Amino acid sequence: MNIFVCVKHVPDTAARIDVKARCRIDENITFIMNPYDENALEEAVRLKKVTPEATVIAVTVGGAAAQETLRAALAMGADEAVLLETRSPLDSIQTAGALAEAIRRRGPADIVFTGKAAIDSEGFQTMFRLAAHLGLPAASNVVSFGLNQERAVVTCEMEAGDREVLEMPLPCVIGAAKSLNQPSYPTLPAILKARKKEIHTTVLEALDLPAAAGHVACLDMTPVVDARTPVELKGTFEEIAMEIIHLLRREAKVLP
Amino acid sequence: MNKQYDAIIIGAGVIGCPIAYELTKMGRKTLNVDKLADAGEGSTAASCAIVRAHYSTEDGVAIAYEGFKYWLEWEKYLGYVKDEKGLAKYMNTGSILLKSQGHDWRKVQKHYDAVGVRYEEWDLNKIKEMVPVYDLHEFWPVKRPEDPEFFNEPTRFLEGALFCPEGGYMSDPALSAHNIMRAAEAKGAEFIFNAEVVEIRSRDNQVVGITLKDGTQIDAPIVVNVAGPHSYKINQMAAGVFEECNIKTKALRHEVMYCPSPEGYDYLKDGYHTSDGDIGCYYRPEVGNMFLIGSEDPECDPQEWVDPDLFYAAQLPYGRGNELTMEQWRAQTYRCARRVTGMQIPNQPRGVCDLYDCSDDWIPIYDKSAMKGFYMAIGSSGNQYKNAPVAGLMMAELIDACEKGLDHDKTPFPFKLPHLGRTIDTGFFSRNREINYDSSFSVNG
Repeated sequence: MNIFVCVKHVPDTAARIDVKARCRIDENITFIMNPYDENALEEAVRLKKVTPEATVIAVTVGGAAAQETLRAALAMGADEAVLLETRSPLDSIQTAGALAEAIRRRGPADIVFTGKAAIDSEGFQTMFRLAAHLGLPAASNVVSFGLNQERAVVTCEMEAGDREVLEMPLPCVIGAAKSLNQPSYPTLPAILKARKKEIHTTVLEALDLPAAAGHVACLDMTPVVDARTPVELKGTFEEIAMEIIHLLRREAKVLP
Repeated sequence: MNKQYDAIIIGAGVIGCPIAYELTKMGRKTLNVDKLADAGEGSTAASCAIVRAHYSTEDGVAIAYEGFKYWLEWEKYLGYVKDEKGLAKYMNTGSILLKSQGHDWRKVQKHYDAVGVRYEEWDLNKIKEMVPVYDLHEFWPVKRPEDPEFFNEPTRFLEGALFCPEGGYMSDPALSAHNIMRAAEAKGAEFIFNAEVVEIRSRDNQVVGITLKDGTQIDAPIVVNVAGPHSYKINQMAAGVFEECNIKTKALRHEVMYCPSPEGYDYLKDGYHTSDGDIGCYYRPEVGNMFLIGSEDPECDPQEWVDPDLFYAAQLPYGRGNELTMEQWRAQTYRCARRVTGMQIPNQPRGVCDLYDCSDDWIPIYDKSAMKGFYMAIGSSGNQYKNAPVAGLMMAELIDACEKGLDHDKTPFPFKLPHLGRTIDTGFFSRNREINYDSSFSVNG
């Protein structure tokens, strides 16, 4: 069984993002594996543990530095790593096309896991475009996953606490949510072992992929400064709890 | 007419608050002024709040051990005051000092015996029994992961450990400062926040008060600098004070990080605070079953001295908060992972970055100054949290004695530790001492 996991090398959520040139951030900051992709990888590794002769293959598209994220994937339990290397910034149309090609070349895919979104671009599109390229069904914001015979049974979180249970034939594309699992992180020996593994690298442009019918171009980029206005809740524990429920209902709108 | 107090304390961290508490108990009307929004919100908040007895000098051990009594009886110390935020809790895990080449543990043991610190000697079997996840090989000398020798297979073993059952840590350092503030207020102390000091006013070399950024002037014949990483800037505001100090302070950037425990090991419930000079780290349990990992400042690690104003205004590449450098994240977590078999290392650095108010010899300055009425409790160097209640009392008594005419520079104030009954030569903490080469020149003090 070939279990693919698409991962992305993204800026650390704790990093301060500075726009350097138009549409480029200063990349002299810490980069990490996209956190939702960690959940995707964890699920893939768990599936491998209960599936005889399964192979977990981590795939990414990005610059040479994205090798770091693939090393992290190998340390977390991936068996193979594939990098489609490019220096160009890609939109989700191009990224999905490139990932699909990488999966076809290594294939065949029995299942594809990825994060529901990347925390840098937050386009929420790549996994669906990838599924379309591969002609596979897809489910996003997945909070539980199981296999029933040859079918995937997933629970997807909808808005305001609603959940939907879907059953899909394999292969399919699964978009992991944060609450899908609690990733176990690698130990030092696993990190060291991963450093010695090969990363299969191909220059993206050498693949000569057909140009997409359209693409998204970045015209300008400005940092969004969140004007945070923290408020301290005062009163008894009961009053504070009531106020939190009120805020979650009225302001955050996550409670009915 | 300016508002008048008997004493103004600049800073409301874990040392500024107990100074107010003790001065108020002695009948002085105090005001703490802090530029942040609440007590303990500065570098106190980022402290690991570790309570251990091992220091490199006998008096250092005595003061730390005296401090245990306050943490162990926290509510009593606070005069059973109520704090609407709740009380910080002493997590009495016990404290392990691994015998290694990274600590002069024989000296520590000698000091323990002299002071009467309760401790046990553990051999390797005992350590393994108490903490099965520790790999007790010797990894010395401390190296960075960039060094190819970092990953050499160790062949020798450590010698054992000194275990101090009364050690541990406070659950929430900022809250502990807040608790002391409430205790001080109950005795009549006042606090103002979001107030930045821009001037120390004096007349004929006698301090007369402070001026705040908004122009407000507040008067007092006593001003105490407890400004943490800003301490040297406050000293520079007081005419002649900075220049006269032989020992200076400056701000050192520091990172602590946390990693999940090995699978199947409940470090939060079963673990101990551990000082591990062999890998240049200390670690203690943290909520979420994490290892909280600090650095013991090994020689191979670079030191980054920064301007605290630029640091806190996020005008340096790495400012205050949870943004760590990948290099230091790897250095500390990889070191700790060599000791703690199976410790998990997340892909994303997780932890806290803040500043030490570091003195030239990593020993604090608890002293008067060249300006009459101007005192300082500074240079905590990352190692004074545990001493805060004792330092509060010592400063209050030192101030009182000086105000009553003692020439502390000539005849240092003898401070009697109330619980241990031992008298400390406070000249040890003088601003005019020569650099103390008995110091560890690290967070260990």
